[in-house]
Amino acid sequence: MADHVLVIGAGLAGVSTCGALRAAGHDGRLTLIGAEPGPPYDRPPLSKAFLTAQTDDAAIALQPPSWYADQEIDLLTGTPVAGIDAESGRVQLADGTGLTADVMVLATGGTARQMPGIPHKHAGVHLLRTRADAIRLRAALGPGTRLLVIGAGLIGAEVTASATVIGCRVTLVDPNATPLAAVIGPHAAEALRLQHLRHGVRLVHGTCTALEPAANGPLRATLSTGEVIDVDHVLVGIGIRPDTALAETAGLAVDNGILVDERQRTASPRVYAVGDAARTLGPGGPLPRTEHWDNARRTAELAARAILGLTPPPPKAPWFWTDRYGTHLEMTGHYDPLAQEIIRGDLTGEDGGTLVYHRDGLCVGAVTLDRPLDIRAIQRIIDRGRRPTAAQLADPAVELRDLAR
Amino acid sequence: MTDNSVRVCAVTDLADGSALTVSPETTGWNDTIAVFRDAGNFYALDDTCTHEESSLSEGWIEDGAVECAAHQSRFDLATGAVSCLPATRAACPHRVEVRDGAVWLWAGVAPGTSGA
Repeated sequence: MADHVLVIGAGLAGVSTCGALRAAGHDGRLTLIGAEPGPPYDRPPLSKAFLTAQTDDAAIALQPPSWYADQEIDLLTGTPVAGIDAESGRVQLADGTGLTADVMVLATGGTARQMPGIPHKHAGVHLLRTRADAIRLRAALGPGTRLLVIGAGLIGAEVTASATVIGCRVTLVDPNATPLAAVIGPHAAEALRLQHLRHGVRLVHGTCTALEPAANGPLRATLSTGEVIDVDHVLVGIGIRPDTALAETAGLAVDNGILVDERQRTASPRVYAVGDAARTLGPGGPLPRTEHWDNARRTAELAARAILGLTPPPPKAPWFWTDRYGTHLEMTGHYDPLAQEIIRGDLTGEDGGTLVYHRDGLCVGAVTLDRPLDIRAIQRIIDRGRRPTAAQLADPAVELRDLAR
Repeated sequence: MTDNSVRVCAVTDLADGSALTVSPETTGWNDTIAVFRDAGNFYALDDTCTHEESSLSEGWIEDGAVECAAHQSRFDLATGAVSCLPATRAACPHRVEVRDGAVWLWAGVAPGTSGA
């Protein structure tokens, strides 16, 4: 039995690990250490309502301030960890002090990737991962601001949509002709691409090959299309790299993520890893690392239950969402190019629509615009191994929730 | 009935696993109230998810809980307690009863109490 559990990283994965440990009956000491200052917060709003100033610090708190005391969690924020020793359970803090734990959970997350050739130290160049990043970006954007967004993944596209709300003029570049097509399928991705165009965004298929700061003026960007544009600010949204440094100091196996088994255990019996920083080893080698919000929550629960020696929760189909231009996209399962695509509703219509990916008698995934209950149903159909026919899925008279029962 | 109860609908008007809403104008309460039917039982909660603006009546109703359509926050239908992030605050529950084949709602009265 672990008396003192110490969680390193106070994002969603770390806070969820603490919550899951208490909910599952851990009554020993529990410490949560975060490198960033201020109370733990939720990241998804940073590119949306927080960026457009429709929501504030209190609204993005992961838990109310009293929660940590109520749950008897020692919360240390603004406290970087310098190193850990898996053998002794010793945790070295950056200020020279230390703590000892029976079990450590690495919830260290990731850092926004910088782009080679981009002057990241320039005041007009931004990344978006932390609350501080969002506050800085928010201060930079105003009506008429010329913004170049590099990367049209979730962060880049959401910042683009938020910037149009603020009244910025946005150029969005991405090396994929239809961004996200490989993740959500070509038709859903095309619907998202058209949203950018409808909102006056210049979408450029390519990349930024050079960015030169002018002395006191705008930044001059050269695009791979040969085009040269002057912009006031640049957001680089090309993904994250997992923060694995602590695991490496402890001698744990790392391969684009801290390697864990299906219950979030590293090779050290004392150390677990969860969230963006963790990567599961499958029977055939490491699986693709997952960076979604829901994965942080789920891996936290897996780790908490493993620490307490409890049975794991049942597996659940992956799920993520993105909000832009007033529409809500959700995806569950995965896109399979060999799957049959079944349409419910109208993806580009007022009431939204859903594409179900169906293969060999099974639903393998689904993506929706504005019909989230369809995704709740498909998620359960996947989790419960239901086998609805393509005809049933295509029939608007058939309720998906009835197929999930 | 002489107290502050409101007739919501006939029992047969609300299918199992579904919900409907009652406006603040009807109840005098400060939020729209969602009335749910799950496994034959009726429940009522404030309709606005405590996380972000989203209608709980449009959520997924199952096993005595409603999962918000927007971000999967989960609320216990009987108590309003939240069991799943991102919401952290409970939804306010209201007393609801079936009488003479109709569903009645007492806005602002805790379930299981007789109210004011």
